[in-house]
Amino acid sequence: MDLQEISLQLQAGKAKIVKTLVQQAIDEGIPAQQILEEGLLAGMNVIGVKFKNNEVFVPEVLVAARAMNQGANLLKPLLAQDGVKASGRVCIGTVKGDLHDIGKNLVKMMMEGKGLEVIDLGTDVAPETYIQTAIEQDCKIICCSALLTTTMGVMADVVKAAEEVGIRDKVKIMVGGAPVTETFCHQVGADAYTPDATSAAEKAVEFCSCT
Amino acid sequence: MPVLKLWQNDICREISFSGMPTLVSLLLQHGITAAHPCGGSGICGKCAIRAEGALSAPTAAEEKAGTRLSCQIMLLGDAEVWLREDAGVIETSGSAPVLGTAMDGLFGAAVDIGTTTIALKLYDLKTGTLLAQEGAMNPQYSIAADVMGRIGAAMGGLLPMLQDMVTEVIQAMLTKACARKDMPVEQVGALVVTGNTTMLYLLTGRDPACLSCAPFQADCLFDRMDTLLGIPVYYPPCMNAFVGADITCAVLDSGMHLRQETALLCDIGTNGELALWNEGKLYVTSTAAGPAFEGAGISCGCGSIPGAIDRVWTENGKVQIHTIGNQKAVGICGSGLVDAIAVFLETGDIDETGAVDADALPLAEQVALLPADVRAVQLAKGAIAAGIRTLLELAEVAEEKIDTLYIAGGFGSHLNVASAAAIGLIPRALEGRVTILGNGALSGAAQLLLCREAVSRARELAQHATHVTLSGNSHFNQHFWEAMFFGDEDIFE
Repeated sequence: MDLQEISLQLQAGKAKIVKTLVQQAIDEGIPAQQILEEGLLAGMNVIGVKFKNNEVFVPEVLVAARAMNQGANLLKPLLAQDGVKASGRVCIGTVKGDLHDIGKNLVKMMMEGKGLEVIDLGTDVAPETYIQTAIEQDCKIICCSALLTTTMGVMADVVKAAEEVGIRDKVKIMVGGAPVTETFCHQVGADAYTPDATSAAEKAVEFCSCT
Repeated sequence: MPVLKLWQNDICREISFSGMPTLVSLLLQHGITAAHPCGGSGICGKCAIRAEGALSAPTAAEEKAGTRLSCQIMLLGDAEVWLREDAGVIETSGSAPVLGTAMDGLFGAAVDIGTTTIALKLYDLKTGTLLAQEGAMNPQYSIAADVMGRIGAAMGGLLPMLQDMVTEVIQAMLTKACARKDMPVEQVGALVVTGNTTMLYLLTGRDPACLSCAPFQADCLFDRMDTLLGIPVYYPPCMNAFVGADITCAVLDSGMHLRQETALLCDIGTNGELALWNEGKLYVTSTAAGPAFEGAGISCGCGSIPGAIDRVWTENGKVQIHTIGNQKAVGICGSGLVDAIAVFLETGDIDETGAVDADALPLAEQVALLPADVRAVQLAKGAIAAGIRTLLELAEVAEEKIDTLYIAGGFGSHLNVASAAAIGLIPRALEGRVTILGNGALSGAAQLLLCREAVSRARELAQHATHVTLSGNSHFNQHFWEAMFFGDEDIFE
């Protein structure tokens, strides 16, 4: 079976077909990791690039991600069986005081599309929650989103909290959201700012492969 | 001491300064209010300015914008800058209030403090006659374009300055209005001042910290008498942190609550405020549309300034434009943007998903829509449309059941309803049922000024309103994804 077909159907957001094709590939004896990489992740990668270039938009990313998850659910037990691990674990959330989650959700989808494991902390997330999750779940990256000029300051508290508990050298902190800038990222002492979801996922993969 | 020469309309003003101030801080110090939509962070590139002399080297933000930005320039010595004259159009139109038992005094004024503009109407309280009206830009705009930016500034110590700015403008407008009728300001015996919740906080010098972050609980909803400029003033009731006294007034002005109708009111701005009246109940919500319809975040976007493209249509398959003041096109404002998207959807240059098969869609010599601009509009209109759908769903009201769609506010007044329906900003089913209110907040405030009976109605409306929260609402998120597309194409099977 041509795994390219899974990628194409995923890009078109056809969740049911993707699920059927993934099952078919499994039945044909193709290794789960290969189905994941050449089928699902390859498809999400195309969507990611197209999203960055404005060729597709949020709804297409959403349906593609849904299709990916349908396929990935079938693969998960097999990947575990084979001892295949995600290339890294990330926790993500919208900072305390802020309830916007569209951008955060997009970043999550793009990161999962890069094969990362993402723990979604939701919105209105306190600095200590990020830190606690990072420690307990052994996350390599903490991702903070803020859409309000009045809440972005919380990102500085997250960095501080990581320093205080002594995990700052073990975890990368990424920041993003409409009012956030490169300069702001430096000011609060975070590790990276990315302007869009695709770049965020690329950066996260880079961080995970460094450690 | 080094000197800064400021040019505006061929008039030069000299300001001497010490140290190395930023241009924006020096302008503010001298009461010059140039627009800084992103609050001076260098992101939006809208404070482009011509500047010469001893200036700091262009920053990365300026390199990116391809121009000097007044928020980025640091003055190192003698310099000259040329300010743009932004003559905005202030919306004061609306229905005439009915005279009842007016507030005390010979004359009175109704004021609407908008985030962008301020409008005032002066009335004879004995006859209910409109004597004069004034419009002005909200000077707080120079601190930040949106309410959150201003709340941040207030919390950072600028609250007294923000309060003074708006108080001074109201005073100047009142003086000007009175002067038109050769009457002394002292004869103004009553004021009704409305606005969104943040604007009333800033005017009254209240700490807006509670409006700055979740759970967004306003600790004051007004509906109280006070004194402003030594004159008794009534602040109408706000409904919550995001649905302010301006919406209470607009609902009052629409008269929807007096009729046996199902009606929806939309005030589309950076925040889209929505009010639904059905079977004696009022449901309200607000949705963050972002500043796209005000020209910010759009590559060639601008406010309603001379040269702004405000109308776009096709004639024999060719794209036609109209600009404010019939001047050479310099950018596109909100109403033009909605038209342009509708036109390009019709010509097929933009497909139903919002994809553009070109690097740019030209409208005039120097004005073109970029694919990213179309995306920004999709987000903005998706948020409004999804807000409407969620509100209707929670109130269990079918779209078709709505008798009237009232559109309030400055942007809505200039909106081409057919285009708004074509891009899905408003429900297509309601295209033929639209009533444009104009500045409904101002008309509602005038109603309160001229008819005390309306005060209890406003109070009742505000107190009994059902609040619908959209943040984190799963219905809203689902509608938002769907409403971002332009067509009815359903990819969410």
